[in-house]
Amino acid sequence: MARASRYLVILCLLVPALVMLAALLFGQDGHAVDLDRVLAAPGPAHPLGHDALGRDVLARLAEGLQLSLSVGMAVILFGGMVGISIGMLAGWAGGILDAGLMRLADIVLSFPGILLAIALAAMLGPGVDNLIIALVAVGWVGFARLTRAQVLSFKGTPFVEAAVANGASAPYIAWRHLLPNIAAPLLIEASFGLAAVIIGEAGLSFLGVGVQPPDASLGTMIREGTRLMLVSPSLVIWPGLVLFSLVMVVNLLGDAMRDKLDVRMNGQSH
Amino acid sequence: MIVRTVSIRFVQAIPTLLGVATLVFFLLHLVPGDPVDALLGETAMPADREALRAALHLDEPVWQQYTGYLGGLVAGDWGQSLVDHRPVFERIIERIPATARLAAVSLLLAVVLALPLGYWAARHAGHRQDVAAMGFSLLGVSIPNFWLGPVLMLVFAVGLGWLPVSGMDQPGAIVLPAITLGTALAAVLSRMARSSWLEAMGGDAVRTARAFGISERTIWWRHAARLAAIPVITMFALQMGAVLGGAVITETVFDWPGLGLLTIEAIQRRDYPLVQGCVLMIAAFYVLANLLADMLGLLLDPRQRHG
Repeated sequence: MARASRYLVILCLLVPALVMLAALLFGQDGHAVDLDRVLAAPGPAHPLGHDALGRDVLARLAEGLQLSLSVGMAVILFGGMVGISIGMLAGWAGGILDAGLMRLADIVLSFPGILLAIALAAMLGPGVDNLIIALVAVGWVGFARLTRAQVLSFKGTPFVEAAVANGASAPYIAWRHLLPNIAAPLLIEASFGLAAVIIGEAGLSFLGVGVQPPDASLGTMIREGTRLMLVSPSLVIWPGLVLFSLVMVVNLLGDAMRDKLDVRMNGQSH
Repeated sequence: MIVRTVSIRFVQAIPTLLGVATLVFFLLHLVPGDPVDALLGETAMPADREALRAALHLDEPVWQQYTGYLGGLVAGDWGQSLVDHRPVFERIIERIPATARLAAVSLLLAVVLALPLGYWAARHAGHRQDVAAMGFSLLGVSIPNFWLGPVLMLVFAVGLGWLPVSGMDQPGAIVLPAITLGTALAAVLSRMARSSWLEAMGGDAVRTARAFGISERTIWWRHAARLAAIPVITMFALQMGAVLGGAVITETVFDWPGLGLLTIEAIQRRDYPLVQGCVLMIAAFYVLANLLADMLGLLLDPRQRHG
């Protein structure tokens, strides 16, 4: 099984890697509108052809790929920071604070994740910043619940008690003693979370509440592509293929990490 | 005992629903600046602005808006659409059957696909068949439904001409949206089926059955299947809620006139009360499905009743 998934990782990694490399090699500007080349077929300088505004598809794919990754990373980073802090606070403090914070988490989990992100992004208005805010508002919960559960399981252990007896402050214990011990499950949560966020970003952009034209996102490219599907099917096939490969890679890495670190996940991963 | 546990869970769902309604209420207040400006533009006539402000209750203090909103929800008054001025509740209700049909067919498809696949993978755990089945499952989880939909459309509707491209009226129109929506569900469910079947096969019940000399076939289908069914059924109930999230995108791709498409239409027209209503209705179904999953777990698995 491990060998098969290694091949699969390489295969899936190949697609985004090739896109980035080729985009660098050909060096076209994905924003340059060229109305003489609307939907033009691939040529020597433009291996994947042109879109409805005559822009170079390859360059836009590379831009969308970068955007997917950077939005994904940003959401996981901010969502992780918020979620881990809240989880630590809830698990360590207990009592009313814990109950209140976990109730909040329950409420967020009472929506299908993508729906809440869509609603938040729609209300906040279009743009990458608001897109990230909407995805973080949904994404922190997984980290918070996981962190809280882990903190609770470590709370009574001798090394933590010893640190408390030594007069260590709560933030110090959280940083030096708890975080290193719960890093493994958090990493796994982060990798599966990343896959979900990448699909989420593209989904929101596909629906028109995320990244706005003229910026390229794989989601907006699929959206524009479906309108012209009958004329030029490649416009919808390419961005989807790149997105799909990217998500596969992230999921496979998450799987591999889970097997390697041998952690049984408690709670669901998106 | 079980009646008590079940009623406690029901009561616990009430604050959750209240929290959901509160969040939905504050959605409108997330609109940057003045929602009235966002809707009418800054050049609108003062009289129009005041009328809209009153329609959205924005002329009242926030606490009064909030209590009024909650009271309205309970009384079935979910506000009025800003576009056609019909009651939001009515507009939502008329879209539910289409979504219910799509969800039901997708879930059915997911089960029909996932159970044999999960069994097959578990039966050949660690072998090539397992790798193939779980590879398919990974594929299903990773493929975005807003891409799978258009690709299916290209191949089966445009290319081969077997099925209608979109809409709901022609025969067979449900096939492509249901596949689009059901694929991810099938992927998750087959993984669950595989792992819980394997777990059951490693348990005491199976070891005892083996000691009694019961045939492997009977063990797989009688003894292990019963144990494995509990998490699978619970997961299925959870997915009854999750399918609604996927429906928002799938319905948009296929122009399927359900609740999901209504949500997106409302967002595009900035029909804020309708957006709020749609989100609330979907979340309510979602909470209900989660509650159902809880109940089924309690009902099927006596071990969960204590603890």
